Amino acid sequence: MSDPGIDEALRTMLPRLRRFALWLARDASAADDLVQSTIERALTRWHTRHDDQSLRAWLFSILYRLFLDGKRRAGRYARLLGSLAHEEASWPSAERVATAHSTLAAFAGLPVEQRSLLIWITVEGMSYQEVADILQIPIGTVMSRLSRARRTLRRLGEGEVRPPSLRLLK
Amino acid sequence: MNTPPSEHDIHAYVDGHLDGPRRGEVERYLARHPDEADEVQGWRQDAQQLRALLAGDLAETPAPLDPAEIRARARHRHAVRWATAASLLLCLIVGGLGGWAARGMGTGNAPMADAMQAYRLLALDHGVGMDITTGNEGDLRAWLSGRVGSNVRLPDLADAGFRPMGGRLFATDQGPAAMVLYDDGNGHTVSFYVRPPGPARHLLPRGSREDSGLLANYWSDGGHNYAVVAMADNAGRSAAERVVDKSI
Repeated sequence: MSDPGIDEALRTMLPRLRRFALWLARDASAADDLVQSTIERALTRWHTRHDDQSLRAWLFSILYRLFLDGKRRAGRYARLLGSLAHEEASWPSAERVATAHSTLAAFAGLPVEQRSLLIWITVEGMSYQEVADILQIPIGTVMSRLSRARRTLRRLGEGEVRPPSLRLLK
Repeated sequence: MNTPPSEHDIHAYVDGHLDGPRRGEVERYLARHPDEADEVQGWRQDAQQLRALLAGDLAETPAPLDPAEIRARARHRHAVRWATAASLLLCLIVGGLGGWAARGMGTGNAPMADAMQAYRLLALDHGVGMDITTGNEGDLRAWLSGRVGSNVRLPDLADAGFRPMGGRLFATDQGPAAMVLYDDGNGHTVSFYVRPPGPARHLLPRGSREDSGLLANYWSDGGHNYAVVAMADNAGRSAAERVVDKSI
């Protein structure tokens, strides 16, 4: 594929990548940094992509891994500083979440992997196999984790459990 | 129809991935199991709501994230990095070549400056502070060969009217150096200075130079650097000439 062709293919994926990054990083500028790193990596590793692999799944996989790497580094850094930051408590667009739908609030309270699972499967409509490939786990494990994510979302949405970060906002 | 559908089929049903017959199976099962039907119904609602709510997050992408721009920036960074590496390499080459060209320059630019230094130190005081004080050339030759090198040729300057007074050793960066002072009995002192060329093997073309009232003639021979130093006045010049003619 020619350079402009690659750029165009990536360009169409940008809004989805940004949405996913926003829900991972929960910070607009951090999300844009993630997307930029993802595109950079995609450009340098374009030749390693299999043709039969969906571009969307490939990009999500890159972005997810970059995010986890960054989080690990940040975690190490936080431990180094002796302040194990309560990352779940620092939700930047808290206002938006608090005033929005309870489902959205519940979704924001999910662990990163469950949030990712639901975005990939429910919102993006990706296949279970694609998700299994991204997480490098068997499809059966994807199913059981998806069940757990859906149950947790339901429970949080119905107000059984309120994540502490959201209780603080009242 | 009591076999519960697999977890996979339940999720596929929620996500709308099931085709007709299997979809019917799941629906029939759920119809008989209201508790599970409630849960699955809840999941479907959540999924629909999530899709609707997150649809608003598909915003216009800012220009800096455009792949073409990222590609251009990466290219620029790449170029800058190459330029930096290249200039670094250039610095290394220039520095290296410069260093190579300048090897032994301390003696190259001002050849045998140490010989003149030594002359200043001793000859002007007419031999005060010598290591060996003798007029015997045989003793001086033996002294020299033991300390600087056995193949050092000590000139016989008797014809030129100069007689040795003695010698002194110096430590230099290039190795041990020796100076033998000659005197013509008329107040003219000439030094004969010899040392190894040093690790850089910096041998000298024959030449002479003047510095601060001193005249140095220098040359290399047999793996040693030599210098004859005298006062840069007429008497010194002619004395040095005679010594050099005898030495080479």
